[in-house]
Amino acid sequence: MDTIRLYFRSMKMLLRSHLQYPASFILQLCSQAVMLGGELLAVLLIIDRFDSLNQWSGGDLLFFFGVMSVTFYIMECFARGVTSFGPLVQKGTLDIFLLRPRGVLTQVICYQLDPRRLTAILVGVAAMVMGGRQSNVTWTALKALALAEAIVFGGLVVLGLFFIEAMFSVRSVKSIEVVNALTYGGRSACQYPIDIYPEPLKILFTAVAPFALTIHLPVSYILGKNLFGWPDAAAFLCPLAGGAFFLIMYVLLQFALRYYRSTGS
Amino acid sequence: MPYIHVEQLNKTFVLRKRREKGRLFREKTLVHALNDVSFDIGRGELVGYIGPNGAGKSTTVKILSGILTPESGDVTVGGMVPWKERKNHVRRIGVVFGQRMQLWWDVPILDSFNLLRDIYRIPEQDYQKRLRELTDALELGDLLRTPLRLMSLGQRMRSELCGSLLHRPEILFLDEPTIGLDAVSKLALRDFLRQENRQNGTTILLTTHDMEDIAALCPRVMVLGHGKKLYDGALPELLSRYDTLRVMTVRYGMDTPLPELPECCRAERDGDGYKITYAPAEIPTAQLLHILQAAGDIRELTAQPQNVDHLIAAMYRELDL
Repeated sequence: MDTIRLYFRSMKMLLRSHLQYPASFILQLCSQAVMLGGELLAVLLIIDRFDSLNQWSGGDLLFFFGVMSVTFYIMECFARGVTSFGPLVQKGTLDIFLLRPRGVLTQVICYQLDPRRLTAILVGVAAMVMGGRQSNVTWTALKALALAEAIVFGGLVVLGLFFIEAMFSVRSVKSIEVVNALTYGGRSACQYPIDIYPEPLKILFTAVAPFALTIHLPVSYILGKNLFGWPDAAAFLCPLAGGAFFLIMYVLLQFALRYYRSTGS
Repeated sequence: MPYIHVEQLNKTFVLRKRREKGRLFREKTLVHALNDVSFDIGRGELVGYIGPNGAGKSTTVKILSGILTPESGDVTVGGMVPWKERKNHVRRIGVVFGQRMQLWWDVPILDSFNLLRDIYRIPEQDYQKRLRELTDALELGDLLRTPLRLMSLGQRMRSELCGSLLHRPEILFLDEPTIGLDAVSKLALRDFLRQENRQNGTTILLTTHDMEDIAALCPRVMVLGHGKKLYDGALPELLSRYDTLRVMTVRYGMDTPLPELPECCRAERDGDGYKITYAPAEIPTAQLLHILQAAGDIRELTAQPQNVDHLIAAMYRELDL
């Protein structure tokens, strides 16, 4: 409880600090909207040219795009500290966290907020609504649950990926570009259904960064597609892999932090 | 058992050099940051910790504050091993790095302090009382609603100190707190530290390059060089070891020639006077004065002790640091 209160108080303070520069804040809100809006436009163009991609209709693609964007940008917005963990290690801010009687992860999450991403989240929601309408999704309680799972566990995968980035920056200062390919690359790639990709990418996003399990499956269920012949329950059970991925990365990060404390920066 | 107990502390860093052409592996060099360092510090002591850059001072502070784990050696601070019980340990310590700020940049410092209250779980009543105490002592009252980024360096340092003392730490580690401060801020800061030490019995370990800080504050000083402890004791005693030469400038009324001086003195012309360098151990000052006075009417005489920085530089040179 205490930690949650600390989180909300931190967020309140950080929001105020962003509002110190109102003009820049509004402009950045706009820029975020334009940025993701541009990507949305690209999807719309593709839909316009080709009515469908494999088994996926235009509405389906929009819906995929929306879910992935919402998942990713919620994390970028409310757990910005984690998504910029790498730079925090490089700047030596980690030392300050280690000097306080709280968990490092708690402090990292409480350290930054990126409210500019709110518009990006909104664009994602808009894409989801539009896509859902076009594909005539009829919402049921189970479908809502599938969507919630996709966003929650997909978000955990995103955090886990940023943990990898943090581990790399503990070990050596500049090799995070490799990991960026997984984080930001994963986001871009998994805005589309996984099965349009060649085999190696499918494996990458199933076994390594399990976006296929956390997002692709539940969204397929919502859109009423067959799940590779798997029973419907798979749409609810597979996303849990995202939680497992997060836990593994969390444990590895603890090892990395122990290493940091024995080597210094 | 002393409050801070350090015995045979060792810490080695592995430095990886950039891989040279034609070599398969990068070369590794071992740096012994700390080499069998031992010391005890009692509760409420104010200790200065000096040494040239790279001597291992920051490494010691990092180990004592629980950020780093050493290779070998025993360390207990108030009965706890810092790196084993990190969270319980850091509750009792305050750390100020002169070059690294812990407060938030864009918000009024009061907001930062409030958040620190939540991080350290300080009870509200205690927090208000302590905040008033500190803002009075550090003259921060008018600045509480000013964001850190709009403050001068001196104001920032005072805010940082306030932030690290809110939870009433038993020990305060200061890493070059007066770096870049003007004379007035420096003096104010020293007064504050002395007062904090006396009134609250806070144990303070002060790392600095500013010898004036040490001279003004610390009855005890430890010198570290190449990862080894070289001296532990009072500052005047340390200085007297290296304070071997004095300089005296003398001016006579007319063109009085310089009297015959004993061999151990070195004299050179300095404008219309003479600059005499001598070792008090070889010729007492009084005797030298006597000789100078006998030669004629002295118009002006100045005797300068050597500057503390020079003494320390001489010491570092002698110890080959």
